[in-house]
Amino acid sequence: MAGMGDLTLFLPEAVVLLAALVAFVMAIFTTNYRNVWAATTFMAVAAVVVSILCIDFQGEPFFPGIYKVDLFSQLLKVGLTIGLALTMLVSRDLPSVRKSSHNDLPIFLTLGTLGMMMLVSATELLTLYVVLELSAYALYVMAALNRDQRMAGESGVKYLLFGAAASAVTLYGLSLIYGAVGSTMIVDVVHAEPTALLVVGVILTLSGLFFKLAVLPFHAWAPDTYQGAPHQVATFIGTSSKVAAVGILVRVLTMSLDSDAVQTLLIALAVVSMTIGNLAALAQKDLKRLLAWSTVAHAGYILLGLLTLSEMGMAAAIFYGLTYLVIAFAAFLAVVAVSPKGENPSLESLKGLYRRAPLVGVVLLAGMFGLAGVPPTPGFTGKWFVFSAALDSHYFWLVLIGAVNATISLYYYLRVVRYAYQTVPDGDAEGSAPMKVALPTQLAAWVAMAIIAVVGFYPGPLWDLARGAAKVLLGAAGG
Amino acid sequence: MANSDLLTYILLAPMAAFFATLVIPAKNTTAIKVANAVFSGVALVLSIVVFTAYDMAAGGYQMVTDIPWIDSIGIRYTVAVDGVGVVLVLLNAIVFFTGVLTMWTLTLRVKEYFAFMALLVFGVFGVFISLDVFIFFFFYEVAVLPMYPLIAIWGSTKKEYSAMKLTLYLMVGSALLFPGLIALFVAGGSGSWNIEFLAAAIQNQPEFQVFVYPFIYIGFGILAGMWPFHGWSPTGHVAAPTAVSMLHAGVLMKLGAFGILRIAIGILPHGAETWAPMFASFATVGIVYGAFVAMRQNDFKYVIGFSSVSHMGIVLLGLNTLAPDGTAGAVFQMFAHGIMTALFFSAVGFIYDQSHDRDIRNFGGLSKQVPIAAGFFIVASLCGMGVPGFASFWAEFLVFLQALASWPVLGVLAIVGLVFTALYALRVLGKAMFGPANPKWDHLKDATPWAMVPRVILIGVLILFGFFPSWILDLIHTTTGSN
Repeated sequence: MAGMGDLTLFLPEAVVLLAALVAFVMAIFTTNYRNVWAATTFMAVAAVVVSILCIDFQGEPFFPGIYKVDLFSQLLKVGLTIGLALTMLVSRDLPSVRKSSHNDLPIFLTLGTLGMMMLVSATELLTLYVVLELSAYALYVMAALNRDQRMAGESGVKYLLFGAAASAVTLYGLSLIYGAVGSTMIVDVVHAEPTALLVVGVILTLSGLFFKLAVLPFHAWAPDTYQGAPHQVATFIGTSSKVAAVGILVRVLTMSLDSDAVQTLLIALAVVSMTIGNLAALAQKDLKRLLAWSTVAHAGYILLGLLTLSEMGMAAAIFYGLTYLVIAFAAFLAVVAVSPKGENPSLESLKGLYRRAPLVGVVLLAGMFGLAGVPPTPGFTGKWFVFSAALDSHYFWLVLIGAVNATISLYYYLRVVRYAYQTVPDGDAEGSAPMKVALPTQLAAWVAMAIIAVVGFYPGPLWDLARGAAKVLLGAAGG
Repeated sequence: MANSDLLTYILLAPMAAFFATLVIPAKNTTAIKVANAVFSGVALVLSIVVFTAYDMAAGGYQMVTDIPWIDSIGIRYTVAVDGVGVVLVLLNAIVFFTGVLTMWTLTLRVKEYFAFMALLVFGVFGVFISLDVFIFFFFYEVAVLPMYPLIAIWGSTKKEYSAMKLTLYLMVGSALLFPGLIALFVAGGSGSWNIEFLAAAIQNQPEFQVFVYPFIYIGFGILAGMWPFHGWSPTGHVAAPTAVSMLHAGVLMKLGAFGILRIAIGILPHGAETWAPMFASFATVGIVYGAFVAMRQNDFKYVIGFSSVSHMGIVLLGLNTLAPDGTAGAVFQMFAHGIMTALFFSAVGFIYDQSHDRDIRNFGGLSKQVPIAAGFFIVASLCGMGVPGFASFWAEFLVFLQALASWPVLGVLAIVGLVFTALYALRVLGKAMFGPANPKWDHLKDATPWAMVPRVILIGVLILFGFFPSWILDLIHTTTGSN
């Protein structure tokens, strides 16, 4: 194990930090967004490569106990950098972002990713809080960049207010934990006696984190923010930010092993989240709102794995989060691609997509089937793992509720597919003309589909990594 | 046995068809059709090889391939066939091949159609050869989902409604299967998903078996068209395009019955015993109800759709006797009904493609106008009635014989249902095929030799195994045992 101060451990974050600096400096000296975009995208792809190369690193680059690099953090960092790179790929044209802010987007995307990457490594409560805010501020700003001022305002303010409230709750929870344990190191908290004060503290901390994952009842921002944020930002919030949320939830939950109160809370939230999320999604006509509600439902499935508090459950949640990143990205890619002028796509506007842009049609199909949990996409395997973990802990009825929910969700996912694949566009020329899809977007589409197909058919390696990550995490917590 | 990779090749044949379809440009429809015909032909030939190569003296699972898939959670790609699997693989290959030939005249979005169809067949093959619960369910879902676009895009008569209804019904089945199947894994010690292993591991947990059995039985039963969850089946059949109806009624419904046989009854024999009286009654109701409703239908396809509910009832009744003869009859019926329904839909599709009408009352004397096409339909009807000389005769005979022994009351009721079967079949024949001809349809062209090929193959199979039932029954008996 590398010792303290070994900064090579910090390499993935360093590359992303460098990317942020590059974007920042270029934004000052050039007015041409294309250049900023090209440089940042290049850096983002480099970050993916570096993260993959660094996956076996482990150790503590800074003061002991504060910041931990292990298989768990490195695996999630790979996911986060992939999320960043994919989002950058679909950001070459930003019709939904107001013109004057084009150059700002790459800066905040990279900064947000940096915050999330540090978040999954943070093992000390104050560090955790600081990097949580670092990632959140970037998102708050970006959520308000829509070219439509009214929508931008609504989306940004709602996100900020809910986020600030959640953050306050988290902070209060953290203070209670400190009061109960007298230390801010997660390791110390894990080994502390589970007093009532500590449990309350953990629950309050969790509440703030549930906001990020959009678990009901902390979801209220999601539909409006998704709808009002620029497409690329919604993509980022809907993909990378969810992986980070899963990561930090897993980390915090290691503090509450064997707590019935926490488990009961998680059960209740999982059921409510799945059910309400799916039922609300049934009624949506705006594709982005639909995806927002589907996020709420998927947060419920992820909780199903987390609430077991077992190694298998954590591994299942990690696997689910990572595959969800790519699957949800596929869906958002379609949102970006079908709105060349930056408008919000309704289900109606998908009509005849299969003919206007076959590639986007296929990606949307892969995304929808993946979200619905249909093989051969990893959505199916992810559900299977999560359900297996829950049943392994004898939550038979919970799994049944989850599976019934998956059936409900199929209705609205299939409805999207139906619009895209079946309904023939109306006669007007604009509605049926072939669509131009930017080259980088096409590239992102192929990458997303390749990942979906490979992991869908051969989930073994990723599952083993997730399993290993969960083992490291719980091993560190237990020993 | 040296040819243990054979099953994997069969599985890959539709995958190859799928990729070939994706690669060939959409404009070149003939190339797509030829590619699909070739690969489905390969699958058929390989299936026949498996059929002949299966060592009946040895019995049991053969041609095993066992590769770790997700080893750390015990999932392995384990494929093998027993006597039942051999028969059903052959059935799927026949229906796939004839299905491709039947759709030779398709012009609407040919590329996507064949891609979805190949994916569906891929899933079906996978289910029939899987010996691992995860892989089994994986393929099961792969097989079910393509039905949605296939019906919603290429179907007729309320196609979107029917497609969604079918998918949701089947997914409710999956929702029951999810906890049911994973519970098996947990009860088996969370080490392996292997079907044989689980059967041995759960042997001594009677209470668990009784608890979990209905989830799995109903979960699969929905796809098998079990009464009272059959609602998706007639509407789905009616809306689906010809080859999809063929695959759907011919093969897909058998997946459900196969799942019940292999997993529900195979792993949970004690649960099966406890629940058999109830599910056997359901099956009997299905037989009689399906036949009754079929009598009142005026749409060709609705008649066949409800007749499928009735015939699948026979399969389920046979399975629920839990006795070798009943099970063997049920499997034989799965095969015979698969071929017969494929022929039925193929024949109706031929008439509908030209007339765009399926109302029985609008037809008459088709046997004079299009003697060959009508001939196909008549043969299928006779087979549906269980006339000796066709494969289904032996199947139904075995099931009813065993049913009378196991559940006398239900057996008698089911045989009464058979009378109604004859009634509805003869009613259709009398109205549409014979009687005064409707001059409106004088222009209909009869089947060309090319169009006859797939139908003749199906009839040939029905008659072949009608006269030599032992070729199949001996195979099936290696799995079920005989009494």
